[in-house]
Amino acid sequence: MGLSRRTFLKNTALVSSAFIVGFYLPVKARADEGAKEILHPNAFIKIDADNTITFLMGQAEMGQGTYTALAMCIADELDADWEAVHFQASGIDPVYNSVFGPWMLTAGSTSISTKQLEMRKVGAAVNEMLKKAAAQKWDAALSDIKTENSHVIHIKTGDKFTYGELVSDIKTMSIPENPELKALKDCSLIGKPTKRHPSEAWAKVTGQTEYGIDVRMDNLKYAAVLHPAVFGATIVSFDPSEALKRDGILKIKQIPTGIAVIAEHWFQAKEALNHINVVWDKGEFAKISSEDIRKEYDALLDKPGASMRHDGNTAKAFKEAHSIISADYEFPFLAHAPMEPLNCTVHHTGDSAKMWTGGQVQTVYRNVCAEILGLKPEAVEYNNTFLGGGFGRRAAANADYIKDAIYTAKDEAWPIMTLWTREDDIRMGNYRPMYKNKARLALNQYGDITAFEAKVVGQPVVKDTILGFLFKDGVDWAQWDGLTDHPYSIANHDMQAHSPSSPIPVLWWRSVGHTQTAPLVEGIVDEAAHKAGIDPIAYRISMLDDLRCIKLLLDVQRISDWKNRKKEKNVGYGVAIVKSFGSIVAQVAKVKVTKNDFKVENVWCSVDCGFALNPLNIENQMISGINFGLAATKYSEITIKNGEAEQNNFYDYLVTRISDAPDIQVSIVNSGEKIGGIGETAVPPIFPAVANAIFDATGKRYHSLPIKIS
Amino acid sequence: MTTKLKIDGTTYDVTVDEDTPLLWVLREYLNLTGTKYGCGAAQCGACTVLLDGKAIRSCATFLKEIGDKEIMTIANTTDPLLKKIQEAWVEEDVPQCGYCQSGQIMNATGLLKANSNPTEEEILAEMNGNICRCGTYNRIKNAIKKINAGA
Repeated sequence: MGLSRRTFLKNTALVSSAFIVGFYLPVKARADEGAKEILHPNAFIKIDADNTITFLMGQAEMGQGTYTALAMCIADELDADWEAVHFQASGIDPVYNSVFGPWMLTAGSTSISTKQLEMRKVGAAVNEMLKKAAAQKWDAALSDIKTENSHVIHIKTGDKFTYGELVSDIKTMSIPENPELKALKDCSLIGKPTKRHPSEAWAKVTGQTEYGIDVRMDNLKYAAVLHPAVFGATIVSFDPSEALKRDGILKIKQIPTGIAVIAEHWFQAKEALNHINVVWDKGEFAKISSEDIRKEYDALLDKPGASMRHDGNTAKAFKEAHSIISADYEFPFLAHAPMEPLNCTVHHTGDSAKMWTGGQVQTVYRNVCAEILGLKPEAVEYNNTFLGGGFGRRAAANADYIKDAIYTAKDEAWPIMTLWTREDDIRMGNYRPMYKNKARLALNQYGDITAFEAKVVGQPVVKDTILGFLFKDGVDWAQWDGLTDHPYSIANHDMQAHSPSSPIPVLWWRSVGHTQTAPLVEGIVDEAAHKAGIDPIAYRISMLDDLRCIKLLLDVQRISDWKNRKKEKNVGYGVAIVKSFGSIVAQVAKVKVTKNDFKVENVWCSVDCGFALNPLNIENQMISGINFGLAATKYSEITIKNGEAEQNNFYDYLVTRISDAPDIQVSIVNSGEKIGGIGETAVPPIFPAVANAIFDATGKRYHSLPIKIS
Repeated sequence: MTTKLKIDGTTYDVTVDEDTPLLWVLREYLNLTGTKYGCGAAQCGACTVLLDGKAIRSCATFLKEIGDKEIMTIANTTDPLLKKIQEAWVEEDVPQCGYCQSGQIMNATGLLKANSNPTEEEILAEMNGNICRCGTYNRIKNAIKKINAGA
């Protein structure tokens, strides 16, 4: 090792030349052990002599509020002036790595749960050092010293130092290994509803935030890429001559995924795509449509699959069952469709390169760039911008749009921004997989569930990715998560999965496996409640041992005034509870069904993430997850015809709009358990809560998504 | 050919094909990147700017259609109503990823310029063309309702 400090310095020096003259601690005892147990305040906090305090963020900000939440941890312990702190995306360095592997990662709703304690310690360590430095200068006891708003204050004399004035004193100090953390009651930010940091919020409402698409530099050129419409199609030949005659076109070249047009301006490049004549070899997949995939998956459903969970004796339980519930489910391919179309800027300068993009997997994207350009990873300077939405799409396992940019800029003199059109984004895959599932429940005479059988058919998501360790024994994490570990007390299980292959690339999509397991589990359990003739919340509680879940159901029952809900014509209420990413979310949806349509009018949402670090952001993320999930509940689907996606843009890939947004009430239950994730956790329960509400209104079960009232 | 554009109080001369959408003139010829590309098909509203006070989709408005009309973008620093709306957005903690918010705010500015006290139905109707994948709609509604545009 010993690599961290040097590369860190190099990276940050390139990003900000001011860094080295700011607060920098020589890191001791680094060479011989892993990075985990050592505090690296210098990697996270930069204090300039003028008392400008900047936090370096290794986690990506894509809307989920991570910058604010992690900064709250540092600032609270540091006693920094909250409004005055600045943010800067960090370079790539192992000190920012994920706990899951040797790369930086913003995914799986893990930023806060895995980083908050470290960030608090970092803030507390520097705070302790600043106090010590001031104590030495004043020849005072530490007990006579306090810190406040980026100042160290002598309690008796009222003398003050800014943190910046003490930078040279703490530079040579050793870093306290176990700094004392504040008690919760003494925290001014942690646990308090805190708005998105003003510096970030103001940049976003005035259009000043720099997303990947906004990167500008001297001599920047722009590229658009002509991609095959059919998945897996290849180029036989192409004629760029007409396109080359057009204004602004600099170069047209073949890259592995298509034909890149480089132009002075992007609109010129994009328009030129229509003037390239291509002969495609469409390949075998051109014969395939959604109906064919459906048949293939149905055939797999009839065959034994890889075992995901097998305990007890399901055959016996079903034989002895008083009643049996069975259901078939279908969930379509889904595009993520973040608002900022995918893009990456690359400047290949011979023996080195620079790249700019907003990514959730910085190290992976940097390494892909190095590999394609034949460079050492350290020779590639990676700059992470803000992300105009992620939802998993900007953690592309196959790095598709990143590779397009790298191949386009390879060996070119200019820095080039390669920008995908919205049509590329909708049509190029990396979808949430299509699934066809089957489930059966055995119920005894009292209506208790005695056995749970399920079969999941869908392309694996994590296999052959950096999260490949989550693909085990032929079973993919996205196939079982939320299904095999459902919260109910059931004695017998037989759960299996099939992993079909396809030229359509698939990818994790906000809340990953729960997008298909939550509608199955919480749908069929709701059917069991109905079969048993018991209130859906009371029934769930009767089937649960998990106290946190029970308490949360009682909470959502209370805030939705469930027991006093009125029976109105065509109006229904549905409930669902899902444990995901270390947290639990319960929701009640109120839905009004009209002739061929439905409107979700209200959602009551109770969340237990252990400890609510920023309650306001948790509320925002619950609202966000519900509105995001509603799109896939009601509208969104990618269908395949003759090997192509049938959808193109927001006119045929429909998403939630403001008129669809229900009134949402959020209740936070601080259970005091281990802190869990938030960004994805409101998505899973909304699918079944709405489907169950529609059943309540109409008496009809909708097992598949999106729900089309018939 | 050279076209004169009046944007946020400044007059610019741009030399660009007049069949270019205004969005790309703003973003790439003038480096006014606050106005965003989202769909290129007038479906999402991320590119919304005001043309003589009315909200338009700049991705589907060509340079030749502008004439001598005044363009107002998210980068405007002098319009009191825009400032008020931006303050309301921060106060209500609206932005998440933030990418669509330039368009949301400009659309809301167009709405409130025409109708200082819109009803819930009018807000939904006027804002329905602006997509936010983060689903900040509830906060947007609250922010617009809280603005007393006439004051």
